[in-house]
Amino acid sequence: MKYASQAVSKLYFMAAIGLFVGQILFGLILGLQYVIGDFLFPAIPFNVARMVHTNLLIVWLLFGFMGAAYYLVPEEAERELYSPKLAVALFWIFLVAGALTILGYLLVPYAGLAKMTGNDLLPTMGREFLEQPTITKIGIVVVALGFLYNVGMTILTGRKTVITMVLLTGLTGLAVLFLFSFYNPVNLVLDKYYWWWVVHLWVEGVWELILGSILAFVLIKVTGVDREVIEKWLYVIIAMTLITGIIGTGHHYFWIGTPGYWQWLGSVFSALEPIPFFMMTVFAFNMVNKRRLNHPNKAAVLWAEGTAVMAFLGAGVWGFMHTLAPVNYYTHGTQITAAHGHMAFYGAYVMIVLTIISYAWPIMRGEKAANKRAQVVEMWSFWLMTVSMVFITLFLTGAGVLQTWLQRYTDTPLPFMEVQAKIAPFYWMREVAGLVFMIGLVLYVYSFFAKGESAGDATPV
Amino acid sequence: MSEVFTKSMARNIYYGGSVFFILLFLALTFDTMGTLPEQDNRAAITPQVALGKKVWEENNCIGCHTLLGEGAYFAPELGNVYKRFGNSTEAIKAFIKSRPVNGVPGRRSMPQFNLTEEELEAIAQFLKYSSEIDTQDWPPNIQG
Amino acid sequence: MLSIPSRSQPQLPGDLAVWVLILAELLVFGVFFLAYVAAFHGHVALFRAGQATLSIPAATFNTLALITASALVVQAIVALQAGHTRKAGWWFAGAAVLGLLFLLNKWLELHHHMQAGISLSTSLFYMFYLGLVFFHFMHVLAGVLILAWMSRRCFQPRPPGMNAAWSAGAYWHMVDLVWVVLFPLVYLL
Repeated sequence: MKYASQAVSKLYFMAAIGLFVGQILFGLILGLQYVIGDFLFPAIPFNVARMVHTNLLIVWLLFGFMGAAYYLVPEEAERELYSPKLAVALFWIFLVAGALTILGYLLVPYAGLAKMTGNDLLPTMGREFLEQPTITKIGIVVVALGFLYNVGMTILTGRKTVITMVLLTGLTGLAVLFLFSFYNPVNLVLDKYYWWWVVHLWVEGVWELILGSILAFVLIKVTGVDREVIEKWLYVIIAMTLITGIIGTGHHYFWIGTPGYWQWLGSVFSALEPIPFFMMTVFAFNMVNKRRLNHPNKAAVLWAEGTAVMAFLGAGVWGFMHTLAPVNYYTHGTQITAAHGHMAFYGAYVMIVLTIISYAWPIMRGEKAANKRAQVVEMWSFWLMTVSMVFITLFLTGAGVLQTWLQRYTDTPLPFMEVQAKIAPFYWMREVAGLVFMIGLVLYVYSFFAKGESAGDATPV
Repeated sequence: MSEVFTKSMARNIYYGGSVFFILLFLALTFDTMGTLPEQDNRAAITPQVALGKKVWEENNCIGCHTLLGEGAYFAPELGNVYKRFGNSTEAIKAFIKSRPVNGVPGRRSMPQFNLTEEELEAIAQFLKYSSEIDTQDWPPNIQG
Repeated sequence: MLSIPSRSQPQLPGDLAVWVLILAELLVFGVFFLAYVAAFHGHVALFRAGQATLSIPAATFNTLALITASALVVQAIVALQAGHTRKAGWWFAGAAVLGLLFLLNKWLELHHHMQAGISLSTSLFYMFYLGLVFFHFMHVLAGVLILAWMSRRCFQPRPPGMNAAWSAGAYWHMVDLVWVVLFPLVYLL
C-alpha cells in the first residue's frame, strides 16, 4: 500500500461483504417463497424480503464502489486522501442509515414506515428499487456529496489520470442521476419515464464507467501492461457504452405509455449495447496475454477476467435476447427479465467489486497477494458462485420461456398463477443453484482467514 | 497493419460522443413530453387517483406485482387488472378486502392490508386509470 | 500529392479510435436503413405517399453540397501535407461553409414539415424520415464543428498534425457516405 489513507477502504469492503451475505440469505428466502408460497408469511412477506434483497445489493455495491475509489484514487493521484476522517465518518453514517432502513423494512409494516418517516411531505417511496424512506434518500445524497467532495479534491489536487477522471465522471453521474428519485409525479407514465433515468442510466450508463475504470486499474496493476495502452482502450470502450446505452434507455419505453417510435429507437440502440461489453472481454484477455509480469495474485486476475466474460454474457447476451421490441412484447416483465437481471448484476457489478477487493485486500494486509491456500479457496469460491449463477440464470430463463409461452403466446393463454404452478420445477432447481451460490459465498468469506504458504512476489514474464 | 491510436483522439470521442448522445436523448425526451398528453390518460387523474397511487406506493404493491410490466414477478400484472376483473372497481375492492390475515397454507397469498373504504376506492380508481393508458397494445392478452 | 502508404505496410489514414467510431456509426445507420427497408415493404402505400411530400430538389442540392465539401476536405489534406497550412485552412473553411449550407437547407425542410404539424408520431414513414434525417443532421453539425475547428487550427502558429487531419477527413467522409445512401433510399426509391 503506497498511501496510509488507502486503508479506509478496508472498512467499506468489510461492510460490502457483510451485506452481500445478507443479500444472498434473503435471496434464498425469496427463492423458497416462490415454491412454498406461505414460507415466513405473514412475518416476512415476499415484497419485504425482495426489498431487502435488492436494496442490500444496491447498498453493498455502493459500499464496494466507494471502497474501490478510496483505494485507487490516492494511488492514482499520488497523494493521500483529501480527508480520511470524512471518509470514516461517512462510512458510519451510511452504514447506520442503511441498517436502520433495512430494520425498518423488516420490523415495521411498510405503510407504517412511510407514516413514521413522513412520506406525506415528499412522497418518494414504494417504487421498485427506490423503496427507501425519503429521509434515507436524503441521507444517500448527503453521503454521496461528501464522498464526491473527498474523492474530487484528492483527484483535482493530485495527478490526474484517465482512470480517475473516468471514475469521477461516473461517480458524479451516479449522484446527479439519483436526484431523479425525488421526482415522483402522480402521472404514472411520467413517473416511470424518469424512474428509468435513475435505474437504466445507472446500470447501463454511469456504473459502467465506474466498472471500466476499476477494471482498467486492476489490469494495469496485475499485468504490468503500459498505462497508455489500457487507458486509451478504456476511453474507446466507455465511449461505445454511452453511444449505445443512452438512447438504449428506449428499450424501457416500449409499453409504458410512451410514443411508439421508442420501439424502433430502443431496439436499434440497445441491440448494439453488447458491443462495448464484447470489446471489454477482448480487451481484458488481450491485456492478460500481453502481460509483462506474473503477478502472484492469481485470484485477482481470475476475477478480472471473469468480470469481463460474465458482464458480456449477463448484460450483453442475456440483455440482447429480449431487447428487440417484437420479442419484448411477449417477454416483458417475465422471468426472462429476472434471469437477465441476476446474471448482469453479478457479472458486471458484483464481480468487479470482488475483483478490486481481491486485489487490494492482501496489499492492505501488507502482502503482495494472499497466501497460496487462501487463493485456492478464493478461486473455488469464484467457480462455485459463477457456475451456480449461470445455472440460476439458465433455470430462470427456462421458467421465463415457458411462462411467456403459456401466459402470453398461445391461443389459449393461462392465468398468471396457473402458469406459476406449472413452472415450479424450474424454481426448485433455481433454489438449489442458489444454495450452491451460498456455499461459494461462505467459502469466499473463509478465504480471508485461510492460512498457508506465501504466494511470493511478482516475476517478469 | 500499423496504425496510429492516440489517447487524445480516444478522449475526444468519449467526451464528444457522450455530449452528442445526451443532447439527442434530451431532444427525444422533449418530443416525448410533447406527445404524452395524447396517450398517458392524464385527463383521468383525479385527487382520488392521486390518493390511489399513494396507497399503491405506501403498501409497496410493486414488491410482488408488475404494473405495465415493471416490478416484481411474484404476483399478477395489475396494469390491466381492471379489465381482467370485468371492468369492475368493485371486484378489485372485494379481492383486496378478502385476503386472509394468515395467508393460505402452502400457497402464495396477498397480505391483508386493512385499507379503509376511501383507500380501497382510491386504489381501484388508480388501477382503472392505469388500465386506460395507451401502452401500444401491451400486454398481448387479458392474462397480463 | 497524397503520400500513399506503401503496400508492404498498409496504414490506416487517421486514428484507430476514429475508425472504431466510424464502424459503430455505420452499424447504427446500417441497422436503421435495414429497418427502414423492412418497414417500407410492410407499408408501401404509406411510404410512397410520405415520399411524395419531400422536396427532391432541396435534397439534391444537399447531396451536391456534401460531396463538394468532401472534395474540399481532400484538397485541405493535400495542402496540409505539402505544408501549405493557410491554404489548408481555407479549404477546411470552405468545406465547413458547404456543411453549413446543408444544415440551413435541411433546417428549412424540417421547419416546413414541423409547421405542417408533422412529428415523429405522425406516421411510421415520418418516424423514419424525421428520425434518420435528424440523426444525420446532428452528425453534419458535429462534422461542421470539427471542420471549423481544423480550419482555425490551420491559421494558428502550430498547425494540426496529419493524424488529426486524416481523422477529421475520415469522419466527414462517413457523414457524406451515410447521406449518399440515405438520399436515394428515403427520397428516391
